[in-house]
Amino acid sequence: MRGITLLLLLLVVVACGAPAAPLRQRMTLAWVSKSLGNPVFDHGRNGALARARELSAAGPYTVEVIATGSASADAVEQTRVLDDLIARRVDGIAVSCNDPIACTEPINRAVAAGIPVMTWDSDAPESQRFTFLSIDNYAAGRVAGELLARAIDGSGKVAVLTGVPGALNLEQRVRGFRDTLAAYPDITIVAEVTSNEDISRGVQGVEDVMQAHRDLRGWFFAGMWPLFADRGAMPLWEQAARTGRVKTVSFDTLPFQLELLRDGYLTALIGQHYWGWGYDSVQTLYDRVAHRTVFPPFIDTGMDIVTINNVEAMIRAWETNDFTAPLPPP
Amino acid sequence: MDKRATRIGLGQRQARSVARLSRQSWRALASRQEIIILACLVVAALVIGLWNPNFYQATNLLNLARGVSWFAVAALGVSMVILVGGIDLSVGAVMALAGVLCASALHAGLPVPLAILAGVAGGLGVGFLNGVLVARLGLPPFIVTLGTMGLVRGVTVGITNGAPLRDLPPHFRALGQHDLYLGPLSVPLSLVIMALLAVLVSLLLDRTILGRYIYTVGRDEQALRLVGVPSASVKITVYVLSGVLAACSGVLMTAWLGVAAPTAAEGYELEIIAAAVIGGASLFGGEGGVLGVVLGTTLMLVVRNGFVFLGLPTYLQSGAIGAMILTVVLIDHLWRRRLARG
Repeated sequence: MRGITLLLLLLVVVACGAPAAPLRQRMTLAWVSKSLGNPVFDHGRNGALARARELSAAGPYTVEVIATGSASADAVEQTRVLDDLIARRVDGIAVSCNDPIACTEPINRAVAAGIPVMTWDSDAPESQRFTFLSIDNYAAGRVAGELLARAIDGSGKVAVLTGVPGALNLEQRVRGFRDTLAAYPDITIVAEVTSNEDISRGVQGVEDVMQAHRDLRGWFFAGMWPLFADRGAMPLWEQAARTGRVKTVSFDTLPFQLELLRDGYLTALIGQHYWGWGYDSVQTLYDRVAHRTVFPPFIDTGMDIVTINNVEAMIRAWETNDFTAPLPPP
Repeated sequence: MDKRATRIGLGQRQARSVARLSRQSWRALASRQEIIILACLVVAALVIGLWNPNFYQATNLLNLARGVSWFAVAALGVSMVILVGGIDLSVGAVMALAGVLCASALHAGLPVPLAILAGVAGGLGVGFLNGVLVARLGLPPFIVTLGTMGLVRGVTVGITNGAPLRDLPPHFRALGQHDLYLGPLSVPLSLVIMALLAVLVSLLLDRTILGRYIYTVGRDEQALRLVGVPSASVKITVYVLSGVLAACSGVLMTAWLGVAAPTAAEGYELEIIAAAVIGGASLFGGEGGVLGVVLGTTLMLVVRNGFVFLGLPTYLQSGAIGAMILTVVLIDHLWRRRLARG
């Protein structure tokens, strides 16, 4: 009943308020992140808005992006956000799922309502989303293994820091890393510690391992958690890293990590295209809606490999907020 | 007027004698539990040290001491809430709030002591809210503090817009990172702060009337009320102290890490409660002491540290800590049954 009333109201509004000559068609795309306020997602949102502006300027559609998400990284709240978007009848949705299972139903509801849905960064593989746009986590883990093996000349003890046990993307990173190192008979992985995506737990895990294995030569951080802490929080790691006794390869390329790399604490960083999460998602959705383009189930965003050779270029990219230029080789 | 005054005076004397009686039997219980924990601690340290002698290195003991310090501060507060038969699930969120308030104040250019006060004030406010809702309105503490946990976390994320606050001044970080040199010994400053707070809490519980009331509220609130002691005020005070101590813990943690994250200490409330329970605080109220809490916290951190030294997968840690809680509670229960049988 309320639906019909709303519909009638809407008709009245449209009838009265429609411009005399609607020159251009409007396309409304929703870009949904895991949570609001995370600096990395803010970056993706800026990318989404930038591509929308470019597409609108090029025509023929006026592309409007609704960048939204739940306040915290909560699966239930995210379901509500998705249902609201379905009710608003947006033209397409790009979502990064807080939980692959909880995300599946609302995605299928949207598809049933005729709204194409894609996922980015965090997938819901069982759902009817038309594609998943992300870094290839397994390949990135392999690259990390290669970079670390080269940095320690193919021999010595190394350790792995990961996040929440069971997180799919992190497991793929660690698996890629382990598979690569399996080819180096003189390298042994002596510890794998979990941080629970928590800064203090990550710091404690790193220091515990540094203490237990005084002859450690290398680290792979599958996420940046302990690096959030300032200097002085990890005295053992910091000392070993500064003197070059321990080499560290970490995921992500946030400004404070680039600083640590420049200061000699880190050997290499593997970056995801945060900007592209928004920029490329909007382009993909646009092509799907406007041209009915068919995409493969996985779109590889590629990765940034940052070492001392190209760290300045990455720092400049953050300063100017322009990530379109390709990085110099690592 | 006179008559009422004497009645209150009499009531307080009665309550005091009730409290004194319960204190003695509590002491017998607590010392037993503390000895069990101490024995576990010694065994754990021996086993880990035999496997990997690096465990005994000074750097590792400092690392452990630093970890124990801020964790124990929060556990002290929660153990008092448990003493009055309550529970405080909001401590993790309060730790994050205090860290963020303190860091924001530092960013705004406030001197370190004032910034710390800002953080502690946040904890005090949340504690007072918990206390009033539980003691004055009679709401169940589990629900109340579950609610404030969500509320406080939301506010903290709101203040920071979700982003961690970094670039804190070095003399603030010194609180959590520096070591004091007491002769040949180097002791983390945060451990000294923890010891001071533990002594204060211990004095409060053992040497003041309020401390006796706290134990009595947990054992027999009705008796206390009959003799005219405002048990609601006692409870509110305890929740406020829990909030303040959680805030101190959050400030220490922030100083150690040099970053205040709105997501910090997520889920720590359960570990902090576990530390207090392992240390001998009974969830039925009225039992527990400062030494037990500190020992319980230390045992938990040694076990976690030991997992890395023994080369065990760290995802089994929560399982081990769960088993530890069940064992301690079971031993306590069996012992109590034997005592009851005579």
